Amino acid sequence: MSIRSQLLKGILDGCILAVIAEESVYGYELSRKLQQVGLNDVSEGTIYPVLLRLQKNGMIEGEMRPSDSGPNRKYYDITAQGEEALEMIQEEWRILVDPVNELLQRGKINERETDD
Amino acid sequence: MNAKQMIEENNQKREQLTEDNEKYYSDLMLYIRTNWQVSEQHTEELLLELLNHLLEGQQEGKTAIDIFGEEPKEYADQLIEQLPEEEKRSWFTFFASVFLFQIVPYVLIIRGVVLLVLPLFTEVNDQVNIFKLLITAILLGVMAMGVVRYIMNVIHRSVFKKNHAEWKDSVKVGAVAAVGMGAFILISVWLPEVGPSFRFTWWLSLLLGGVIWGISKVVKSN
Repeated sequence: MSIRSQLLKGILDGCILAVIAEESVYGYELSRKLQQVGLNDVSEGTIYPVLLRLQKNGMIEGEMRPSDSGPNRKYYDITAQGEEALEMIQEEWRILVDPVNELLQRGKINERETDD
Repeated sequence: MNAKQMIEENNQKREQLTEDNEKYYSDLMLYIRTNWQVSEQHTEELLLELLNHLLEGQQEGKTAIDIFGEEPKEYADQLIEQLPEEEKRSWFTFFASVFLFQIVPYVLIIRGVVLLVLPLFTEVNDQVNIFKLLITAILLGVMAMGVVRYIMNVIHRSVFKKNHAEWKDSVKVGAVAAVGMGAFILISVWLPEVGPSFRFTWWLSLLLGGVIWGISKVVKSN
């Protein structure tokens, strides 16, 4: 597993919740949206165990209904509990992202200085 | 949509898969379906969802390996881990209905015919002992359930095994079924008749068998 997909693993639940919070989607749409924002490393199948877990924990709900193109698809909607969890993940991410950026970018600058 | 309708839709849609994708998907499906602990309804929902995804991906030139990864067994185990468990009650209802509609009417009809024909050659006893009847019925039910579960386990374990010798599985399943059947016959022969018996004539046996068979057909067509 690449470093990137290992890092992503911890935050994938949050990313999936964020997509579903915007609008209800079915599996294939969800994987396309993740790829559109640049998360190309998520192998498409990995969303399904996550979707099952989120359903089991009451974060999202699935419902079969006709899709735009016609046939039935299972659409996912976020629940109130899921919205709460998403807010918490967003908050935690904000707390983490600045110090991590700060540290890792500093490393990059040092590297550049020694290169010069 | 109930599980039966989803299985139907799944069967039809699977035909649109390419040969490689079909092989990959069918193994995944068989492996997940033969895990008897997970809920059938949720399993079929998931399987249909995966199939729809694969079909859409296939149109864009993706393969099952691109989508679900190179380790189908690990992937399936991840899915099974997250699927809700089947309620014990629905297993019981399933076996009770199979027993009542698929086994009981045939036993009754065969018994009726045998009791009708046999007196032409020898003396027969059309008494039924309640104790013996109860014990044999329970025993048969438990045995049938055990054998079915065993067969499912054997298939489940063999799906992703490479260079797998299928004849070994056949021998194993045959042996278990034979031993089970043998034990059942021995026990039902040696079981003593305790308590009250009642007369259960050939025509009553035929009639009752016919009625239950008729009901089972009506239930099935609904």
